[in-house]
Amino acid sequence: MKNLTLVVMLLCYSFASSSGDSTIHTNNWAVLVCTSRFWFNYRHMANTLSLYRTVKRLGIPDERIILMLADDMACNSRNQYPAQVFNNENHQINLYGDNVEVDYRGYEVTVENFLRVLTGRHENAVPRSKRLLSDEGSHILLYMTGHGGDEFLKFQDAEELQSHDLADAVKQMKEKRRFKELLIMVDTCQAATLFNQLQSPGVLAIGSSLKGENSYSHHLDSDIGVSVVDRFTYYTLAFFERLNIYDNASLNSLFRSYDPRQLMSTAYYRTDLYQPHLSEVPVTNFFGSVMETIHTDSAYHAFSSRISKSKIKSDTPFNQLSEQDVKEDLQNTNNQNDELKTEKQKCPYSEMRADLHEKLKKIENVDTMVNLSIAVMILVVMVSSSLL
Amino acid sequence: MEETSDHPNPTTDTPGTTPEPDLETMRSSKPGLKRLLITTTVLFSFLSGLPFLWKSVEIYRSQLPFHDIDSLSDQVKSAPLRFPCTFHAVFVGFGSNDPDQLRSEIQDGVNQLIGESSQCGSCNVSISVTVQSPDELCSETFPSTCSYRCGVIKRDSFGRGLDDAVDESLDDVFSGCSGGIGKMYSVVVVNKENGDEVKAVVGKRRHAWIVGSGLEERFGEVVGRVSEVFVKVFMNGGREEGDSIRGEFMPVGSDGRLVLSFSLLNSNPRDWIYDWDFQRIDEALLAPVTKALAPIANISVESQVLYHTPKSSFSSWDEKLQSYIFRTSDLPFFVNSNEWHLDTSAGASGRSKILQFVVYIPSGKECPLHLQLPNEEISKTNGFISPMWGGVIVWNPRSCDKDSESPSTNTISPQDLEKIVEVFLGQFRQLFGFKSEATYTSELGSYKILPSERGFTEWELDVLSRKHTCFNLRSCATTLGSLSRLVQSLPRMIIKDEIGEQVKYSLKAAKLAQSNASLGGYSSSASSSREARSLAENAFFHPSIMSVSYFSYEHCFAVYSPFFLPVAGHVVLAALREWRRYKQEKAKYLTWLTRKKAA
Repeated sequence: MKNLTLVVMLLCYSFASSSGDSTIHTNNWAVLVCTSRFWFNYRHMANTLSLYRTVKRLGIPDERIILMLADDMACNSRNQYPAQVFNNENHQINLYGDNVEVDYRGYEVTVENFLRVLTGRHENAVPRSKRLLSDEGSHILLYMTGHGGDEFLKFQDAEELQSHDLADAVKQMKEKRRFKELLIMVDTCQAATLFNQLQSPGVLAIGSSLKGENSYSHHLDSDIGVSVVDRFTYYTLAFFERLNIYDNASLNSLFRSYDPRQLMSTAYYRTDLYQPHLSEVPVTNFFGSVMETIHTDSAYHAFSSRISKSKIKSDTPFNQLSEQDVKEDLQNTNNQNDELKTEKQKCPYSEMRADLHEKLKKIENVDTMVNLSIAVMILVVMVSSSLL
Repeated sequence: MEETSDHPNPTTDTPGTTPEPDLETMRSSKPGLKRLLITTTVLFSFLSGLPFLWKSVEIYRSQLPFHDIDSLSDQVKSAPLRFPCTFHAVFVGFGSNDPDQLRSEIQDGVNQLIGESSQCGSCNVSISVTVQSPDELCSETFPSTCSYRCGVIKRDSFGRGLDDAVDESLDDVFSGCSGGIGKMYSVVVVNKENGDEVKAVVGKRRHAWIVGSGLEERFGEVVGRVSEVFVKVFMNGGREEGDSIRGEFMPVGSDGRLVLSFSLLNSNPRDWIYDWDFQRIDEALLAPVTKALAPIANISVESQVLYHTPKSSFSSWDEKLQSYIFRTSDLPFFVNSNEWHLDTSAGASGRSKILQFVVYIPSGKECPLHLQLPNEEISKTNGFISPMWGGVIVWNPRSCDKDSESPSTNTISPQDLEKIVEVFLGQFRQLFGFKSEATYTSELGSYKILPSERGFTEWELDVLSRKHTCFNLRSCATTLGSLSRLVQSLPRMIIKDEIGEQVKYSLKAAKLAQSNASLGGYSSSASSSREARSLAENAFFHPSIMSVSYFSYEHCFAVYSPFFLPVAGHVVLAALREWRRYKQEKAKYLTWLTRKKAA
């Protein structure tokens, strides 16, 4: 039996790998996670929003970005610039400008939700925009920042994501063919340790620091009063600011741009699970989205051959489309984008109590049952005391 | 209280004859059992509680049919699914040919074209041949699969008139054919006495015909073409790569749903505003298509009109063509995902597939806009697709002149809409891996292919059914295989009954699909395989399977040990100590006894 399953497993893997090779790259996804709360961790949110801005500029649409922010610095009462987040003390770019679609915010950013996003195991009610709907041709960028340590990353000051959890989730993603290539980029202390357990092919990992090293912030904004960006992310952004979507700078050039003296830590990259040569892979493979297109050579002349039937009449009732309608439409489209998704959750405790209540109601002679049970209790007490 | 046994009562000592017993090494009375008994009863009550504790912390695991899952994946892998197909060739006006010999020749040709590879979703071919001589006498191979009435097809009058009419008449001719099991495809070869060049047509149903004069002399070529029609057209659907199942040309969500989202983009509504009567397109043109594809996918259609949606890359003015040019090499940068808010599909559930079809109306600044192919030609369709995403059609207004300051509001005329839908159908077919050219050319010649108003001809739908059944079954088997491996690797994970049921029904649906496939029920096997895949995915993606929410052994120990360990330790230690003491005292008593005996 065991042998059989082993053979089946081997077959599965060979099948998976053989069909995985032939798939073409279909789309790009980005999962950007800021895991820490509290005002003094302002820089982590700024890091994540900067990356969000960059990948969006390079062509990944909002619907294919899962943005998780553990706290809302823009609306923090200590923020001198309400509804604005900056990643530089020159305050040139407001990262919290238009069209920032936060998919998971505040206490929704938990290890469980993060793993649900990766593995795709959501409750039915979770809307599409909160899901990672990648397929076997997808390239995924997973960026995480927060406070980390040896083989863990802290979420929300309450729980932690361990390197085993991450590796397990990635393995399951690979098994279900949820990605073709995955780039994990982590900006935390001892980031490299988070990749120790990874073993799935097609995964590339970059961390800001080695084991035993800290990841430092870049500079302090004296107006805001806290550090606004981390060094690793700052130099990553500096690299990307020079690029546009047409560029084909390679991943290698990105990796070489990190200078340990500037970072004050050693950027680490793990490439043993990744097949292609890094100097041949453009950064837009992960940080942007270049569509695979095929020209349509010919239309399907299903109707031009037949004599046009009277089904479609030529009168045009839409000519009188009023200006107002147009405006309404425009507003609708805008509203849809600004809507932030929240999900109502029932409190499990109150549900349980309600259940219990209902069950109690169903029992008819409650009083006799209570009396009986008291009698039993007295008996038990008597027996036990006499024994002693 | 019970110290008496520790200090033997000096009054009970046997006096005189025996030497004074050494109180350190021996005793004269039997050691008491009371303390030992009490400690052991407490220990035993603890131990007897253990099974109850064990039972109460046990994890509920629904029994998954691991064996059935393994056998399904074995089956899917080892024996590629094959559907029975019957090919029937009718040769009209051939004088001196033996049908059995013809059959073996066609069989050879077919085998040669199929080749060694036994691809999944291909045909289990059976061939029958009828030969009708010029004087309308018939001979056919045995067993005959089709009750072709001899002389129905007239040699000289065949093939006149419209191809569509011929196709319909052939359908009448073969309407009596059940074809045994599976679908029956037929090719009629008519050898005319006098006529023009050879003409080969593939119809909308499952028929094709080759008409020409002097075919009997070019006999080998005719047989070659017949087998080519059977294999390349009817079996593989005219695709180039027939052998590999490529996921990107199966644009159906894993729950078997597909949402077609049509968007009309007015890139600059200050220049002009266009609207469309989508309701009518949907009812008249798209409904037949979605109905035809019903066994393969549950298709729903939605539409929207968007404004202020510039494309993300620039075009250039071409003086010679008097139009703006966008090169196909720049197409990857055409779609402006930051400004085109296409994904509004709130109705689509998590695992459905959405295909976007975009009609882009350029602004006044770049009108007319044409796509230019690498060979400097202008695109005929003005459209392109992106696999698994959808397609874009650039539609230029009739005239590019802005007359006044205020934007004009227009509706796209029905004729133009029909053209747009034709391009859309071309793109839709392309996304499914089909070509849309009206002629199919192979080594031996070209075939005219009649287009169907339903977007896909019947034989193409058959190909799709076969391919999708196979793809779905494979996907179902690998998903269930992954699930069973996952479940077996985590012995402390809760498995709800729901998952067990989904797996059970998925396996059932997969079995049904397999048996339907072997019986030749194309659409029923396609729909049950879709169900099997969807159920398998539901089971795999069940939200209760989360690695952080299950209870590992370490976790269990950590939770319960603070309750029991402090007390349990004392109880066990006390019992041990009492046991040791009792043994010691008993040894003392025994030495005293031996001493006494010796004395």
